[in-house]
Amino acid sequence: MSWSTNIACRIPDARLLACAALIAACLAPPSSAQELRLPASASAGEAITISATGSGRATFYLAGPGISSKSEINLGEEIRIPAASLHYAGEYLAILCSDTCRSASFDVNPAQPATLSFLVHPSRVPDNQPDSVSGVAFPFDHFSNLVLAPLTVNFHAAGPKESLFSRSVSTHDGVAWFRTSSGKAAGALHITASIGDLSAQRVLAQVASDPCNLRITGARTPNGILVETAPVHDCAGNQVSDGTIVTFTAVGSGETSTVDAPVKGDVARARLTGSGPVVISVASGVAMGNELHIAGAEQ
Amino acid sequence: MNYKAMTYRITTDKPRRPFSPIAAFFAALALLLMSALNAPAASPSVAVQLDITHAAPRGVEKPTARRILADYRFAWTNLARAVAANSAGPTQGLFTGTAKKWLDATIASQRQSGLVTKYLNQNHNLEAIFYAPEGDVMELHDTAQYQMQIFDGGKLIYDQPVVMHYVVLMTPGADRWLIRQLQPVAKF
Repeated sequence: MSWSTNIACRIPDARLLACAALIAACLAPPSSAQELRLPASASAGEAITISATGSGRATFYLAGPGISSKSEINLGEEIRIPAASLHYAGEYLAILCSDTCRSASFDVNPAQPATLSFLVHPSRVPDNQPDSVSGVAFPFDHFSNLVLAPLTVNFHAAGPKESLFSRSVSTHDGVAWFRTSSGKAAGALHITASIGDLSAQRVLAQVASDPCNLRITGARTPNGILVETAPVHDCAGNQVSDGTIVTFTAVGSGETSTVDAPVKGDVARARLTGSGPVVISVASGVAMGNELHIAGAEQ
Repeated sequence: MNYKAMTYRITTDKPRRPFSPIAAFFAALALLLMSALNAPAASPSVAVQLDITHAAPRGVEKPTARRILADYRFAWTNLARAVAANSAGPTQGLFTGTAKKWLDATIASQRQSGLVTKYLNQNHNLEAIFYAPEGDVMELHDTAQYQMQIFDGGKLIYDQPVVMHYVVLMTPGADRWLIRQLQPVAKF
């Protein structure tokens, strides 16, 4: 505005009126004033219609998540935004330019939940462990938008012999989660998260915990002392996995010898040498077993 | 030794002239030009603050918070570069999943329509609101303020300071936290 005033001041009398008229014309609003009329909000994947008032031609821009389009339109006609342009939730900016540019924004909300992203940990868990299993569920719509409106997620866990737990959790900020203890029986643990008809299932391997109540028997043979465990179980009665290490320790005549043996077919075996009387003990992890007294060999 | 070599040696043995002001000016100009050519492209200004006090059920460890802060800032710096240059290159390896999809779609769409977007003077207030028990996903709320400019073939068609709210999901990758979801919302 200041430059217009300066120009007017420099021009002598006769042209002053014309100059003032020119300035007024420049400052006046454009003749083809346009206004955008948008929906307050829309749902992802649904077409909408925008109307632009005014007359003449204009350029319409749409900028939002995943879209940045430009098209020539006739003012006064409706502008149809196809569903394909509105897949992602978020704020969209509509800009209309003819003489000047005007803009307005509208929000696209996520559609109904269509998939559940369900993370469960760990993939392998010892039985009977408190708070050892956790799961997190995120509901997404068909276009992978996180559904932020509160939804009730039903979590259900079932072991090989028992239903472990069933819980309903409301999503908060698009997420629901749980934490629970593992079951008592070894085997597959099926955990399901569901929202209405929508569900996702994950399977964990529930395995035996540390061995419990170790029992050994043994006898002297011509080749040494042969010791073996009874079938090795955890405290819940599940057979421990093959490969679990059992340690046999023989103490006798001031000497100590140790043998680590893996469980194979539920039983661990070892051969110990020594001719004198020995005391044999057994351990696995933090569990101790019985002691075995073997008399010395006959000379 | 030939004649030319001898001549050269004699010339260099002469006393040096004082350094003229004109030569100094051109030397300084050359230095400036060289430093300008060697300097990296101007980085968009991106400030990020992270609040981890409300993260649950797992607390955010300090090293994790530092990593999140650095990776989120780097991701936005490169996002701004990508949409300003209409090239997905700067965002490679920083975004994944839905965030990568819509970002790639935006860049492809901008390239097609001849538009360019600039995010200037970014300031992000990031708040960790959910950190999974096993630490494999984090949800954050970002209240971002920046100057948004949209150009159509060099013509500025939009220039406004904006406040945006983003719901962000980040997951750990091999060497950084990746942005998996970057969803603008009207409010938290």
